[in-house]
Amino acid sequence: MIKKIWIIFIRDLKVNTREFLTLYLLVFPILFGIGVNLLTPGITDTSISIAFIEKENVEMASYFKDFANLESFPDEEALKKRIEGRDDIIGILKDQEGSYILAQGNEPTYVIDLVKLIKTLYESDADLNETSAVIHDFGQDVPPLKTMLVNIMLLMTSVLAGMLISINIIEEKSDNTISAMHLSPVSRLGFIFGKSLIGVFLAIYGSVVLLWTTGYTDVNILQAILAIFSVSLLSIVVGFIQGLNAEDIMGAAAGVKMMFLPVAAAVASVELLSDKWQMLFYWVPYYWTYKGNVAILTKNATWPQILLYSGIVLILCAAVFALLIPRIKKGLE
Amino acid sequence: MIKVKNLKHSYNKDGKYAVNDISFEVKEGEIFGFLGPSGAGKSTTQGILTGLLQIQEGEVEVTGYNVRKIDNKMFNKIGMSFEQSNVYSKMSALENLEFYRKLFDVKTREPQDLINLVGLDGKENKKAGEFSKGMKHRLTFARSMINYPELWFLDEPTTGLDPAIASKIKNIIKEENEKGTTIFLTTHNMHIADELCDRVAFIVDGEIKLIDSPRNLKLQYGDKLVEVEYVMDGKTIKEKLSTVMDDDKKKLTYIIEHYSIETMHTKEATLEEIFIKVTGRELV
Repeated sequence: MIKKIWIIFIRDLKVNTREFLTLYLLVFPILFGIGVNLLTPGITDTSISIAFIEKENVEMASYFKDFANLESFPDEEALKKRIEGRDDIIGILKDQEGSYILAQGNEPTYVIDLVKLIKTLYESDADLNETSAVIHDFGQDVPPLKTMLVNIMLLMTSVLAGMLISINIIEEKSDNTISAMHLSPVSRLGFIFGKSLIGVFLAIYGSVVLLWTTGYTDVNILQAILAIFSVSLLSIVVGFIQGLNAEDIMGAAAGVKMMFLPVAAAVASVELLSDKWQMLFYWVPYYWTYKGNVAILTKNATWPQILLYSGIVLILCAAVFALLIPRIKKGLE
Repeated sequence: MIKVKNLKHSYNKDGKYAVNDISFEVKEGEIFGFLGPSGAGKSTTQGILTGLLQIQEGEVEVTGYNVRKIDNKMFNKIGMSFEQSNVYSKMSALENLEFYRKLFDVKTREPQDLINLVGLDGKENKKAGEFSKGMKHRLTFARSMINYPELWFLDEPTTGLDPAIASKIKNIIKEENEKGTTIFLTTHNMHIADELCDRVAFIVDGEIKLIDSPRNLKLQYGDKLVEVEYVMDGKTIKEKLSTVMDDDKKKLTYIIEHYSIETMHTKEATLEEIFIKVTGRELV
C-alpha cells in the first residue's frame, strides 16, 4: 500500500508543478521567506533621518551621525522641499540663537523627541563612551514582529496544504478519474492517504524552507515539523471535504480560505488576550500550534511541551476526522 | 466468472428498485451482452459487479471474489472501459497509462503497445486534455486492458467513434476474447451486441426479461420471411413471402421459375426488433 500511496503522491507532485496556481502554492513558502528577509531590516530599523544644509552646523551634523541617517542639501529651499516629502525627516537649521528643528508637523512625537534629545546631548557635550549604564539581555536578537510573522506563515502553509489537496480532488472529479482509481487495486483509504501526502509534503517542506530562509536555522526542526504536521492534518481533512463539495477550483479555494479565520483567532488570542481569556480558544487546534511555534522560534520549547500541544492538536483533528470521514468516503463513491 | 443471485438495489432504500431480483451467470471465456434502454438498471448492475456500488441484497461473485467483502486483489483480474472517458487531462496519454500500470500487482502491458493498438501512436506525448472525445475514449479503452484482465467490463465501447475506429475496437474485443478473456458488455447498441455476444440479457425496469444467444433469439422470435424483387412485364415487383406457409412457398417457387430475380434475401428479425417484441420497449 505504501508504494501505491507514493505513486499517487508523485503523480500529484508532477501535475502540480505544471499548473501556475498549484506551482505558486508549492513555492509560496520560499517567496514568503524571501519577503520576510527583505522586510526584516525595516522591522528592526528605528533610526531617524535628519536633514542639514551643507557646510552649516558641521560639528552638530558630525555628532548626529552616530545616531541618525544624515542628508545634506545645498540651501534652505532644497531642505524645506525635502522635509515636505512623504517620509519622516527632520531638518536642523541655523538661527540667531544657534539652531532650530524644522518638522513637517505630522511626524510621530517620538521622532521629534528623539531629535530634541540628541540635540540636547550635543549641547551638553555628552559622550556615549562615558556612560555608566550596564546592559543585560535575554539573548533574543530576533524582533518579536518577525517571530510572529514567521509563525503566522507556518500556520498559513498548513492551510495552503489543504487548498492544494482540494485542487487535486477537483481535478480528479472533473476528469472522472476517481471511478478508475476505485477499479484499481488501490484501497479507498490508500487513495485518501495518497491524495493527502502532497498536503503533508507542502506543510512540512514549506515550514522547513520558511524557517531556513528566514534565518531560523538553529531552532529544533523536529519539534517544528511535529507541530506543523499535527495541525496540517486538520487542513487536509477540510481540503478533502472542500474538494469533494466544490464544483470548481475557485469554490474549493474559497472554502479552504475559511480556515484563515481560526488561524487569525488563534494568533489574536495568544498575542492580545490575557491567559484567563485564552481558554476560550482551547478548542482551536491552531491556538496550540501557534503557542508551540512561539516556544520553538524563541528556542524555549521543551519536548514535553511540544508533545503535549501536538497531542492536543491531534486529538482535536481526530475528532474532526471522525466527524467528516463518512462524508469523505461517500463523496468518493 | 460472474455469479449473480437475487440481486436487488434501491438508491433511496424506499422499496423502489433500480435492479429488482436479477440472477444470471457469465461463463469463463464468453462475451455476455447486457442490453437495455437508459435507466433499465445496466449501470447499477455493472456498478455492483465492479464494486463501485455497495451491494445491498443478493449474492454476487466476480472472478471468485464475493463483492460483499471486496478484496482489492480482485481488481488485478478485472478491467473496465467506461462509457464516459476518465483520464487525467493534464497528463499525456503515455503518462496516464504509465501511472495506472504502476497501481497493479500483476504483470502489465507496455503502455506504448496499447497506444499503438488503439491507433493513438504519434499522440502518446500529447496531453489527454487536448484529445478529441473519441481519442479520450480510446485511451480509456486502452487503459482497461493494461493488466491483462481475465474479466473485462466494457460499457458502450464504440460509442462516439467513427466506423473505422469502431471496427478496430470490435476486432480488439474479438481478439482478446479469443485469447480467453471473459467480456461483460453493457450497451444499448444491438448491432455490436449481435456481432460480438455469445449470449445477451435483456434488462428493462431493473428486471431481466430474457437471456439467450442472439442466434437462438432470432430463430425463436424472428419472422421467417424472404424478401424478393423480380421483374414482371418490365416492372420491378417487391414482395415479402413466408418460408413456412405453403401458399407463399409455392408462390416463391413460381416467381423463381418464371421471372427474372433482381434481389432476394431472407428477412431475419434484428436483435432490436426482438428486444421490442419481448420487452415492449424501445431502446432509447
